[in-house]
Amino acid sequence: MAEIRYDVPNEQWPVHPEKATLEGRNKFVGFWTFLAGETVLFASLFATYLALKDQVPSQEHLVAADLYHLELAFVMTMFLLTSSLTSVFAVYHMRNNNFGKMQLWLGITVLLGAGFLALEIYEFVEYVKLGHTFRSSAFGSAFYFLIGTHGFHVIVGLIWITLLIIRNANRGLSVYTAAKVNTASLYWHFIDVVWVFIFTIVYLLGVL
Amino acid sequence: MAEQNHEQLTESQLKYLRMERTKEMRIQMISFGLMIFLTFIAFALVALEIDKNFVIPIVIGLAFLQVVLQFYYFMHMKDKGHEFAKLFILVGMYFAIAFVVCFIMIVWIGNPI
Repeated sequence: MAEIRYDVPNEQWPVHPEKATLEGRNKFVGFWTFLAGETVLFASLFATYLALKDQVPSQEHLVAADLYHLELAFVMTMFLLTSSLTSVFAVYHMRNNNFGKMQLWLGITVLLGAGFLALEIYEFVEYVKLGHTFRSSAFGSAFYFLIGTHGFHVIVGLIWITLLIIRNANRGLSVYTAAKVNTASLYWHFIDVVWVFIFTIVYLLGVL
Repeated sequence: MAEQNHEQLTESQLKYLRMERTKEMRIQMISFGLMIFLTFIAFALVALEIDKNFVIPIVIGLAFLQVVLQFYYFMHMKDKGHEFAKLFILVGMYFAIAFVVCFIMIVWIGNPI
C-alpha cells in the first residue's frame, strides 16, 4: 500500500474521503452489518424488558411508574440528541478537510456524552437507594440489563472517540483517519437511535 | 497514489462542493430541529396525562419518525451507495419488531390463535 498522506491540499481531498480507500469502503459495509446485529441485540433486551415490566415480588417493591422521572429522562435525551448533532458537525468538517474544527466538535461530542453518562449513573444510584436493584426483581434485572447495555455502549463510544482525538492529534487528517472518524460517528448516532426507543418505550410508556 | 484525487479540483469545483455541503448541513439542522420538536411533543403528551390508548401509538410513531430522520439524515442513509446499509437495517428492524411482538403476545396477551 502506498504511504498515507496527511495534510492533503483541499484540491486533492476526495469528495467522500471516508470511502476513498478500500479499507474505508470495507469498514463502511462491515460497520452497517454490525449495526444491524446490534439492532437485534437491543431488540431482544427490549422484548425481555417489556415481558418483565413491573414484575416485582411484593407490593412494597417500587414499579416503573413510581421510579421514573420524566424531567431527568428529558434532560438525558437532550444531551444525547445534541451530541449526535455535534458529531454530524465533526463529519462535516472532516469532509471539508478542516482538521482543527473536526477535533473540536469531536471533543464537544465526548463532553455531552459524558454528561449523559453522569446523569445515568446518578439515576442508577438513586434507584438502588430506593431498593430497585439488579437482583431485587425480574423487573429490575430486565431494566438494568437494557439500560446498562446502552450505557456500556456509551462508555465504549466515549473511549473510542477520545482515543481517536488523542491518536490523531499529531498526525492530522488523511483518507485513513477520515474513515475512522466516520465509523465512530456512525456508532455514536446508533447509540442515539437506541436511546430514542429507550426513552419512548421505557420512560414515556413507563410513567403512563 | 490511489487514495487522493488524481486530477486536482478546480477553484469553482471546490466552491461548488463547499456549497453543496453547506446546503446539506442546513438540511441536517432542520432535521435536528424536527427531532427536538418530536421529542418535546412526545414528552408533553405523556406529561399532560391524556388518555393512554391515544398516547401510546402516537408516541411510538414519533419514535419511529425520529429514528428515520436519524438514519436518513444524520447517518447519511439518503445518499447513494447505502443499499447494503438499508438492507441490513431493515432486516435488523424486522427481527426487532418480531421479537417484541412475540414476547408481548406470549406474556401479556396469551394464546390468541
